[in-house]
Amino acid sequence: MMDCAAKSKGEVTTSPPQKHIPGELGIWVFVAGDLMVFAAFFVVIALGHNGEQAEIFAQSRATLDMWVGVLNTFLLLTGSWFVAKGVEKSRTAHDSAISRYFSLGILCGLLFVANKSFEWGAKIIVGINPMTNDFFMYYFVFTGIHLLHVFVGLGVLLLVRNASKRPITARNRNRTIETGATFWHLVDLLWIVLFALFYLL
Amino acid sequence: MLTTTNDPLFRKSMMFCAWSGYMAVIFYIIGGVILGGMTPPLLNAGEPPEEFVRKITENLPQLRVASIFMMISFALFGSFGAGIAAQTRRFEINPVFSYIQLVFSAGGMVIALLVAFSWALMSFRPETYHPTLVMMFPDFAYFCALFSVPLFGGWCVMIALPILLAEEGKEPFPRWVAYANLWAALLYVPGQLILFFKDGPFAWHGFVALWIPYVAYFGWIWVMSIAMSKVAKSTGNEPPPELAKTGAV
Repeated sequence: MMDCAAKSKGEVTTSPPQKHIPGELGIWVFVAGDLMVFAAFFVVIALGHNGEQAEIFAQSRATLDMWVGVLNTFLLLTGSWFVAKGVEKSRTAHDSAISRYFSLGILCGLLFVANKSFEWGAKIIVGINPMTNDFFMYYFVFTGIHLLHVFVGLGVLLLVRNASKRPITARNRNRTIETGATFWHLVDLLWIVLFALFYLL
Repeated sequence: MLTTTNDPLFRKSMMFCAWSGYMAVIFYIIGGVILGGMTPPLLNAGEPPEEFVRKITENLPQLRVASIFMMISFALFGSFGAGIAAQTRRFEINPVFSYIQLVFSAGGMVIALLVAFSWALMSFRPETYHPTLVMMFPDFAYFCALFSVPLFGGWCVMIALPILLAEEGKEPFPRWVAYANLWAALLYVPGQLILFFKDGPFAWHGFVALWIPYVAYFGWIWVMSIAMSKVAKSTGNEPPPELAKTGAV
């Protein structure tokens, strides 16, 4: 539509950019694979919500503080925004401001870990643990597996931050940055679904 | 120095290693899936010991035959892993990751063999042992197979790292193979949950702790065997000439 409008105004249209896979093919193999497994996890959780224990699930879910989940979602989304900005800027330049974007992304990730620790700690102090019931078993295990992704993601972002300091002509610099950022966005995406399944359903 | 194209022995050796992988999967399907009741699990971590004895006694002959097939399958992990290490070695001037891989594949093979040993002992004389002792054999088998995440996951990471760290054009396998290995490593992780649960999807008979790591593991063997077959057919990655000159090839 926009293309047609531009043509009708007689503007010069630029040729479409070359097809470009962000990062490299391999990371998308990983992303697709991980999404597949998490899809299976989501089915397991959803079955719990609607199964024989629907009442227990509803009661347990009510004890979770939705705003803690909202804060964590906000932190990851903000982190992803910083990372996306960093990737965008890194395509055209390299300076300290770019690595700062990735540092801010890392900070958001660390705040997520801190917030999760407080949330888990508060539950464990009052005697709620994975053995309490099936809801909390799923809650601790699946958010735990996600937390493992966050830790891996933080390590990946450190690599990305280092790569962003290299000259723009450095070999594979942009590939490293885009691949790492793709993984971080995956971490973000998985959390959004977990947040909906545990806090909102 | 020889490339795959003009080294017929290397081609045959790599094909042997690739077929070790394929056969390991096939023998496991016969031993662990069709006969042995490992996947899908015949036993259930949450059941009383008497129930273990009953199920094992009722299925004695096939459990015993299954143990033999599993033993063969797991012994093949050695030559399968050595093939991957050999290809990695061709791209290293000073070998490091190829050695680490050998350590991991030897460790992985031994721990996997213990799974078959436990399965065999479980069906040896269940009527004589105390039921709780009988119960311990499948517990031990599943713990060897599933709880050993750092060993089998570490092996995958040690295959992925030399690919990802290599300079462009000097990767022993295509880069997507590295990501497939990292994915497999991540899929083994739920296996460690079996220590904390005796019921539900995270117990050693459950969907998340048993099925996901098992399917990932045997799928990974298949993928790596395909990657080695490609090397054997001279369609895999070849070390650049300068590596050949250093004598690394």
